[in-house]
Amino acid sequence: MSVASGARVKRAGPGTRRRRYLSAIGVVPFLAYVGFFLVVPAASVMVQAFRDNNGGLSLSNLSTVLSSQQPWLHSYATSLELSAASAAIAGVLGLVGTVALVSSPNRILRRLVTTACGVLANTGGVPLAFAFIATIGNAGVATHLLSELGFNPYNNGFSLYSFTGLVIVYLYFLLPLVILLMLPPVEALRKEWREAAATLGASPRNYWQKVGLPVLTPPFIATLMVLFMDAFAAYATAEALTTGSVPLVPIEIGALLAGNVVSNSANLGDALGFGMIVIVGVAGALYVFVQRKTSRWLR
Amino acid sequence: MKTGRTFRWVALGLLGLFVIAPMAASIQFSLEAGYKGRLSLTAYSQALAEPGLGGSLLTSVKVALGAMGITLVLLVPTVIFVNLRFPRWRAVLDAISLLPLGVPAVVIVLGVLGSYRSLPNFFTGTPVILAFIYVILAMPYTYRAIDSGVRSIDLHTLVDAGRSMGAGWMKLFSRVLLPNLRSGILAAAFLTVALSLGEFAIASIMGFTTFPVWLVSVEGNNPYVAVALSITALLFTWILLVALAFAGSGRRRRTTGAFGVEIVDEIEEKEGLVPLPSAEATT
Repeated sequence: MSVASGARVKRAGPGTRRRRYLSAIGVVPFLAYVGFFLVVPAASVMVQAFRDNNGGLSLSNLSTVLSSQQPWLHSYATSLELSAASAAIAGVLGLVGTVALVSSPNRILRRLVTTACGVLANTGGVPLAFAFIATIGNAGVATHLLSELGFNPYNNGFSLYSFTGLVIVYLYFLLPLVILLMLPPVEALRKEWREAAATLGASPRNYWQKVGLPVLTPPFIATLMVLFMDAFAAYATAEALTTGSVPLVPIEIGALLAGNVVSNSANLGDALGFGMIVIVGVAGALYVFVQRKTSRWLR
Repeated sequence: MKTGRTFRWVALGLLGLFVIAPMAASIQFSLEAGYKGRLSLTAYSQALAEPGLGGSLLTSVKVALGAMGITLVLLVPTVIFVNLRFPRWRAVLDAISLLPLGVPAVVIVLGVLGSYRSLPNFFTGTPVILAFIYVILAMPYTYRAIDSGVRSIDLHTLVDAGRSMGAGWMKLFSRVLLPNLRSGILAAAFLTVALSLGEFAIASIMGFTTFPVWLVSVEGNNPYVAVALSITALLFTWILLVALAFAGSGRRRRTTGAFGVEIVDEIEEKEGLVPLPSAEATT
């Protein structure tokens, strides 16, 4: 047991410097594990992205990815659009839901909703895709119901196995995530502020414009970043739903790795992965930046 | 305010409908199995007879238990050690445990295959590798669960009391610390199992037939069987996660810190560092 050995050394004699270093052995397994299964793989992707087939340094993979003759730029555009659209829609609807929830004095309801959100935000992947296929897929229960009412969505331009369909399915796990992340800041809006505003003659609209929204903006942007990253890295739902007909970067990488796409460039997948790391990194950095800006009123 | 109340119930009602409708429709879809208006359990009995079900489930369960074992053996001693001896490293390890959120699952596969392809086949060529990778995917949540468990007990007093009564470190660990950390450990175990049982991207790309991968392969031939099984799996996961949320919040409110209400408390508590509950990124 690393705990035992590490700690005993220090107990035995109040440490010389060397013993202190020795006792740091307790964190070595953890660091080694993360290094082996996360840091080395991620670093290898970043390095391989800049290597050609023979192992020499080269920008050929990246230029392939960025070439307009290749499909990859289009995949990035589709992925970005999908993540941005679903994050924006989920953000707005989720914020409305959060405000509605907080306005309720019913504590049991709030407790119930937050527990449900914790579970739903972790629902995704294959079962979620199948649930939507059973609902508004072309043989789904709701599709059947609607066409009996004389409106078959599939005759009116709708398809679940498309960009729009993916946005709808993504909302299922993004909306609960918004509620989880926005509940603390919305709850922190003090009743006194609203009363003070009202005393000074502000309408509810004035209150939201001048007080509520400005205070909520930084945490809201941070939430949007989380949603974006979540949607951008998503693989399972899209693959199970569209089997690749909507070109998303993670699915293209999966196809390259599984050997479904013939490619003369061995490290093309790494270059695509490198692009993902960069995009997620930018969103993550923005998240940290905005989080720091979060108004002290909310703390 | 009348309008406020109407708005509240309409908004929450629509959200509720959006959450419940797909699940209700799935159940109806699987019970009808193509014959509108006639409910039967045909799809469910067919599901049990479907070849490959047992094998894929077994693979998934083995991987999930493996990931759970590695998680606990790796994280519990580390977290106790850091809190006891190196409190200054706490923030660093906390940040490291969040790193997997910044690396999409697909990129982890790319990297693992790229870096370790030359290693012996039992490493990247068998589902064993999945267990090792799932430990990483679950780490942002499991680390938090165990860490808030350790922080909620008076670690130093327990250790000193145990030591002064003559307990060795092994005994201290098994008789004093583990029982006191029960809820945090349970939360981490549940989270790892739930994530491992549902993960699709990595297993599918690496070509291992786990339960979700098998489900997708069945869907083409028999969507009713696939939906019947997937709704069963989903409800099972939900029950697991709800049990976890309540188990964690029953006695001490801040022990688990991984889910639901607890996550909200965590956010308030830690200001900047929000544990991000990402669903899709990991599945």
